[in-house]
Amino acid sequence: MEHRFLAVALRRGLATLSVLALVCVGQIALALGSGDPAPAFKLPALEGAGPIDLEQFRGKVVWLDFWASWCPPCLQSLPELEKMRQQMPAKDFQIVAINLDQDPAKALRFLKKNPVGYPSASDRDGKLPGAFGLKTMPTSYLIDRDGTIKLVHEGFREGDIKTIRSEIRKLVEARP
Amino acid sequence: MRRTMIVHIACVMTLAALLIGASGCAVVKPWERDTLARKDMALDSDPMRATLQNHIRFSKEASLPVGGGGGGGCGCN
Repeated sequence: MEHRFLAVALRRGLATLSVLALVCVGQIALALGSGDPAPAFKLPALEGAGPIDLEQFRGKVVWLDFWASWCPPCLQSLPELEKMRQQMPAKDFQIVAINLDQDPAKALRFLKKNPVGYPSASDRDGKLPGAFGLKTMPTSYLIDRDGTIKLVHEGFREGDIKTIRSEIRKLVEARP
Repeated sequence: MRRTMIVHIACVMTLAALLIGASGCAVVKPWERDTLARKDMALDSDPMRATLQNHIRFSKEASLPVGGGGGGGCGCN
């Protein structure tokens, strides 16, 4: 009698653990890569009028940059991206930044000292990085005119901007 | 009968403990490090001061800290 009861208890325990394991597996987000469509989003702008919608830039090559004021390489990349933006044709290219600060005031403080000419959306809840499956900070995505991811750039080191510029140029010059 | 009841309750309680324990495990995702990245959240918020204090300690105690370092006693190394 007792053995049967133990077997039932064990089976129930295993079933519960299986459900737990399934829940854990479900939470693992797959990282998007080259060839995947960029997930659509509509987020409030960090400053100025919003919202910022990825769809509004369809037809342009987009550099989507995830950044936060607590991430030193992100802060290093922003002025470099701004310089690069100024050298690119505005009708073909757009930088869209997604700020992930829980307190947007910190990001605004940085932008006040280092202004950039491209829009930043605020994703305080951090939902969009999950949709993209971000693995590190910063991460940027090069998105073509049709909304397909062409390149994923993780981290930011000195000299990276050269590679980024050349990849963007290739895509901008490959006119539809 | 009473014994099986105890086993049943023990199983349920073990599972409940496992569930509660599992809910306490959380992976901090790369974009969720906002608070953890704060200077005051670091294990050692002032590495320079820690190095100096370490130097003073091993000089006075003539003992080497985990971080290494030669000599001892005079504090001149």
